[in-house]
Amino acid sequence: MSDIVKKAYAREAETGFNYRTAMEEASRCLLCEDAPCSRDCPASTNPAKFIRSLRFKNIKGAAETIRENNPLGGCCAWICPYDRLCEKACSRVGIDRPIKIGSLQRFLIEEEERGKMDFIKAKPLCGKKVACIGSGPASLSCARQLAAEGVSVEIYECKASAGGILSHGITPTRLPQRVVDHDIELIKRLGVKFHFGEKISKENIDSLKDKFDAIFIGIGLWSSKKPDIKGKEFSGVEYALDFLERARSNTKSVVLNDDVVVIGGGNVAMDCVSTAKQLGAKNAVIVYRRSIEEAPADIDELKFVQSMGIPVITNFIPEEIKGSEGRVKGIRFRGRDGYSELLLNAQHIIFAIGQEQVSEFKDIKEKENIFIGGDAAHSSGATVVEAVAQGKASAVKILNYFKSLDSLCKTGGKV
Amino acid sequence: MTLKRDLSIDFLGVHCENPFFLSSSPVGSNYEMCAKALECGWGGIFYKTISVFIPNECSPRFDIASKENTPWTGFKNMEMTSDKPNEVNFGYIKRLKKDFPEKVIVASIMGSNDDEWAVLAKEAQKAGSDMIECNFSCPQMTSSTMGSDVGQSPELVKHYCEVVSANTTLPVIAKMTPNIGNMEIPARAAIEGGAKGIAAINTVKSITNIDLDLNIGMPVVNGKSSVSGYSGAAVKPIALRFISDLKHDPLLKSIPLTGIGGIETWRDCVEFLLLGASNIQVTTAIMQYGYRIVEDMISGLSFYMEDYGIKKVEDIVGKALDSIVGADELDRTYKILVKVNEENARAVKDVMFHVLTGGIRQ
Repeated sequence: MSDIVKKAYAREAETGFNYRTAMEEASRCLLCEDAPCSRDCPASTNPAKFIRSLRFKNIKGAAETIRENNPLGGCCAWICPYDRLCEKACSRVGIDRPIKIGSLQRFLIEEEERGKMDFIKAKPLCGKKVACIGSGPASLSCARQLAAEGVSVEIYECKASAGGILSHGITPTRLPQRVVDHDIELIKRLGVKFHFGEKISKENIDSLKDKFDAIFIGIGLWSSKKPDIKGKEFSGVEYALDFLERARSNTKSVVLNDDVVVIGGGNVAMDCVSTAKQLGAKNAVIVYRRSIEEAPADIDELKFVQSMGIPVITNFIPEEIKGSEGRVKGIRFRGRDGYSELLLNAQHIIFAIGQEQVSEFKDIKEKENIFIGGDAAHSSGATVVEAVAQGKASAVKILNYFKSLDSLCKTGGKV
Repeated sequence: MTLKRDLSIDFLGVHCENPFFLSSSPVGSNYEMCAKALECGWGGIFYKTISVFIPNECSPRFDIASKENTPWTGFKNMEMTSDKPNEVNFGYIKRLKKDFPEKVIVASIMGSNDDEWAVLAKEAQKAGSDMIECNFSCPQMTSSTMGSDVGQSPELVKHYCEVVSANTTLPVIAKMTPNIGNMEIPARAAIEGGAKGIAAINTVKSITNIDLDLNIGMPVVNGKSSVSGYSGAAVKPIALRFISDLKHDPLLKSIPLTGIGGIETWRDCVEFLLLGASNIQVTTAIMQYGYRIVEDMISGLSFYMEDYGIKKVEDIVGKALDSIVGADELDRTYKILVKVNEENARAVKDVMFHVLTGGIRQ
């Protein structure tokens, strides 16, 4: 096939709109009065309003709408599953194809950065302090909303840089680091303090209570699910998050052998296999135990992988990892139909079969001044835009909690 | 947190929270429509023209001109003055002033003789209008005693302005027709007759399309059609020219102008302001996109003023007037040359194509 996509690692997946092409796209918008696209954005980014502003040549107003409503407007523009959210809802679908809302959002955020626009101004400090544990999408979103309201926010991050899954997971081809950094920079400008390399254990949370009026836990899901399979101890078997982070922190550290097999059918699996291919694997392949229809990956992620010429094999369940002298040599699968068999040559196997809460935080619950959001609040991973929505919602809860405290103070502690 | 600056500007001594108004048309022809517009952020309303004459409207009475994927470049309408009894219209104006005291309501009126102009002026003031606009410019009236036929006669314009001014203490604005060579002539006549401000432009006489199956102009009204007013983005350049002409006239340059014609975006508004309008009126874009378009006018103008360090809207009024000079005053030694080199050699073919069609000239 002649048009297989060969993108070097961290090369951006596609070039964005310029003013002319963005306007062409915006002029396709039907400017619905009760717009379904805005209704279906979990983070209430309000695409109908920002597209209308763009259409009426109010670029700054458009960028302002995105930034006000979505603290991670840049990241979401790149990785939101638009095809099943706003673009799926778009009225234009009834005529031909939806407005490319994600691409318009990306254009406007790029304009924001180029024009050094700075829309959000923090209110005067209100005297309240909040600690956010973790610096992923939910925490960043919560911190931005609180900081804008005049709350002093400090983020504790056990890694050396901010962003969580944005900076340490998702492949930079789909989400360039510059985009993540721009979103985070705007949050920093509101006075949010970051403590890097500081791991907060469950016990430490209580000690933070002395210093802060409320604590938000947005630690995500960072423990890879591990299969119970013969041969998993062989060298060459790795888990998705470790692999992706290794690739992001130092591409040279990832010496890939010829044949890489990724097990899984979600977006993380897609990221792993495209990363493997980009980092030199001769053969990179996905094997998923169910069918494409049942796969949790978003169609754009699957299409991207397929555009790189990567085979996606479905309905095969891993049975045994084969190896010799402690190293992986291959992997055997059993067909879901009970008849088919598959034996693949592999020097590197990556399991991307889901994440779960690290055991330490498994039973953590919201109480009094402890709030939880993002994937940490769930047993399985959700999308970045949902985490943004939860971060915003938690910020509202925290502000309401502060209000109730203030009214308690005024009544002398009596309810 | 949305950026909003003080966009207020006085027009004929009336304080307006912003310069964005509805023009006298179907979009502001009853209480509900006007209330919705004001709630959306419009600074005021030129209420649909009230006349003693109650029109018998034709149907259909709209048509559009399109180009490629732009559905409306221009809009043709055949509607005349308000079809409601005067007491209903003046009742709405009274209610609007009561419910929206901060907003500005202008009564647009049209008579066919002295008595009608006089009674309409008195009623407009009694209803609590802030100003009166005399419609001398509707090009599709069924009687030649009203509309643009009147507006083309400086004597009638002057006379009716005198009649209206004698029957009200409110500021009077004369609305001009563009279906004329020199707008300065009726505009001067209006001022001589006592008008304090000029509104320009009303719609341009037009035929938009012919139905090729029927060989009948559009819109087809039971087998016939007629010339009527054209508006929308297509007429903006014509409007800007008239605004500039009026503001360059030595007798009119200090007369406050309200600009109308093809305004859709904040950029269009700024262009009218830069050529000397201190008030802006819109209809066609509202018919197409809704009252909400004022949100981006407010936001866009606010950002523009912030970017250029402009404190008050009035500071930019007329700022571009000096740039518009007579054709004989242009520097004709100034040349823009097309530079052709190896890098853009591929474009040379395109350049030659346009040179040959006259699209590129030195």
